[in-house]
Amino acid sequence: MGAGGTRGGVKRLLASLVLFAMAGTCPMPTVGQDAPVRGGTLVVALVSDPGHLNPAITTSGATHAAAELLYNGLLGRDERGEPIPDLAESWQIEESGAVYRFRLRDGVKWHDGTSFTAADVKFTFENILLKFHARTRASMGTLLVGVDAPDDRTVVFRFKQPYAPLLYQLDATEAPIVPRHIYQGSDPQTNPANSSPIGTGAFRFVAYTKGAEIRLARNPTYFKKGLPYLDGLVMRIIPDLSVQVLALENGEVDFLWELRGPQQSRLTGDPRFRTAQTAYNPGGSNCIMTMSFNLERPILKELRVRRAMAHAVDRPPFVSQILFGEGKVATAPISSEIPWASAKGLNLPRFDRGEAERLLDSVGWKTEGEGPRTARGVAGVPDGTRLSIDLLHFPAFAKYGELMRQPLSAVGIGVVLKPLEPAVFAPTVFKDRNFDTNVISYCNGPDPEIGVRRMYHSSQIGPAPFTNAAAYRNPRVDGLFDDASRTVDRAGRSRLYRQIQEILVQDLPYYWLVETVSTRAWVARCGGFKPWTGLFAEAVFCKR
Amino acid sequence: MPSRYLLRWLLQVLPTVAGLLVLNFCVIHLAPGDPVVALGGEHGDAAHHAFIRARFGLDRPLPDQLFIYAANVLRGDLGISFVHGRPVAGVIAERLPATLLLISTALILSSVAGVGLATLATRLRRRSADITLNTAALLGYATPSFWLGQLALLSLAVGTGLFPVQGMTNARQPATGINYLLDVLHHLALPALVLAVNELCLTARLVQTGLREALATDYVRTARAKGLPEKLVSGHALRNILRPVVTVIGGRAGRLFSGGVLVEVVFAWPGLGRLLLSSLLARDYPVLLGMLLLASSGVVLANVMTDIAYAWLDPRVRYQ
Repeated sequence: MGAGGTRGGVKRLLASLVLFAMAGTCPMPTVGQDAPVRGGTLVVALVSDPGHLNPAITTSGATHAAAELLYNGLLGRDERGEPIPDLAESWQIEESGAVYRFRLRDGVKWHDGTSFTAADVKFTFENILLKFHARTRASMGTLLVGVDAPDDRTVVFRFKQPYAPLLYQLDATEAPIVPRHIYQGSDPQTNPANSSPIGTGAFRFVAYTKGAEIRLARNPTYFKKGLPYLDGLVMRIIPDLSVQVLALENGEVDFLWELRGPQQSRLTGDPRFRTAQTAYNPGGSNCIMTMSFNLERPILKELRVRRAMAHAVDRPPFVSQILFGEGKVATAPISSEIPWASAKGLNLPRFDRGEAERLLDSVGWKTEGEGPRTARGVAGVPDGTRLSIDLLHFPAFAKYGELMRQPLSAVGIGVVLKPLEPAVFAPTVFKDRNFDTNVISYCNGPDPEIGVRRMYHSSQIGPAPFTNAAAYRNPRVDGLFDDASRTVDRAGRSRLYRQIQEILVQDLPYYWLVETVSTRAWVARCGGFKPWTGLFAEAVFCKR
Repeated sequence: MPSRYLLRWLLQVLPTVAGLLVLNFCVIHLAPGDPVVALGGEHGDAAHHAFIRARFGLDRPLPDQLFIYAANVLRGDLGISFVHGRPVAGVIAERLPATLLLISTALILSSVAGVGLATLATRLRRRSADITLNTAALLGYATPSFWLGQLALLSLAVGTGLFPVQGMTNARQPATGINYLLDVLHHLALPALVLAVNELCLTARLVQTGLREALATDYVRTARAKGLPEKLVSGHALRNILRPVVTVIGGRAGRLFSGGVLVEVVFAWPGLGRLLLSSLLARDYPVLLGMLLLASSGVVLANVMTDIAYAWLDPRVRYQ
């Protein structure tokens, strides 16, 4: 998650959950005996105050969690993360992926009654998203030639070259559409509408008491017929996650975005509550806790040392002791939540302390008495140097540091833990490059082009935060990433990503520890949640 | 209060606040960290970060930034929050009432109850009452407020349903008029109590010690000898020892503010403390500076009010 707080992607849902599959336009109850009920208010707990409610000018998880229900993207995402119609009802891919043509839904209205048209989409991309939305700007900013609106219901995206990931970048998380008539001619970052937004979404804005709560009401003219079921939705800002759980138990809130491991035991088994896991999060999806090796440091330049460290660390305890079983050991550089891109059957270094010691010996790191090993003929390192490295991490990830230090010191590698808060961590690692190793939650995003490329491409070595921390340079990998972004055919992309991952596992610029997921929790009397999207409450209903 | 005193006071306070402004600015910018990280997001590219830096003037040399900031403050403009995208004064003003309510309730509660309990314990003239109050006060003073808050939540809110767990109002049924007032009081009770405990204990100990000494003085013996009822005797004594007590209470208004940060987090109270914390993590410099300015002015104001209270409590104190 790099910055602060998010994990994401779809995981398993408990059987008791009532699911709604969005098939085209109509909500269809697929499972369960409970028929949707109209009316009522849902109270949702938010962990931080969003500050403003314009999801198009930021990638902040706080704003996105609070504001996406007010808006829509051209496309939505289903429970597998695949694109489905939202503001656009259909699309065509032309010129082998260099041109995308979208047909917009008819009769969509903004909350103030103005008609939504293709001009809103063009304006949002050109004037807002490509300037202010960090992910959209970084991924398609240099490749997008233009967005055309030949008529009110047609939008055409033209790229310099075939561009594969577009359909995964059009939901309300990646590209929410905002009204042109409100934002035109103003500074989008200080427009008052950011605090009293006008969208197309299932809920319309009522009030925002800063630091306390955001009140939304049903949008009676929502373009998805019959939705939403709720009359209102209140988002309560409760900064302490354990207090959120108490508020849920006390009946003051109905839905939690994040239930952490230690608190799960309070709710699981209690028939009043339901939980579901997902790898999607509005601030970043499909995250892998990753150890980066600074390849500019003489000690870590040596592949055998990196391999030894990977062999020394046993990863299952990370899942059981830190994540309380939420998540799994990483099996590939790309998250298994992007199944078509994640390579299977890769040969990641297995836990083998003997092999780790043998590798370190072979490099010239010798055991001499107590403590870390000593250099005896290590290339680029003066004899007598001790094998000691630092490991930087967010304070929230202190347990990862602890679980790394012990096994590494067991094979003679001294580790000094350095907890740094995010605002300090990022410049230290990515600008000053003042570290040996670190632990980062790298979120792959909905497509490898968005969150994976930045970790490995040589053009992505700082100073922007959460890019290529290892300073990994491999022209072959660069070329394969460039090919993959131009290849629209999924089987072809899949083959390219497989080649990339095979090389990465050999080169080991990083070591991939565990894939993390979030657990959402809600009261059993409510159903219809879609935890895999920011429009999670569109089809929620609550029994009285 | 004579105008000469006011003038002297202004001459002392204005340079102090100005000095604090410059000091705050330097300290905040000297601290490691970069606001662009919080604003630019995880997936931003270098161009995006440069754009943000230029937009907020963070690419200028530090002395320039300080000069611009100081000039703006003189014109009454505290700047635009990086995170909120709105004027800082508004961002702070929205949160101020909740914090003022919480802190003033806690201050009144702790002062009144502290003095009351100590007087009661002294008047009982029993060693056991003394010891009980002393022990309880020491314990209460030593307990961190966030922990006390958690305990209060688990024992008085969850399960019993006596008090709400979080917030300032009921999220489901927004009330109006008198019902709104009652709703806020209901939500205020636990956080104010928790925040008051520390101060209450300190005040109680201070008053108790003072009273014990005062009651052993000659004028008290004389008062008792001429048959004054005990209630009036301790009233006399109390008035004489209130000066140090008021000094301590006034001096601790700032501390109450910092204790409020933790209590606001635990009870999800929508006040300034939480704004301070989130602005600190995001390195939202304009909001941080605005709040520091407010806090320093608040402490200065508390000192003035202490001075005024002095004159009222002690006829010998006169300001010229």
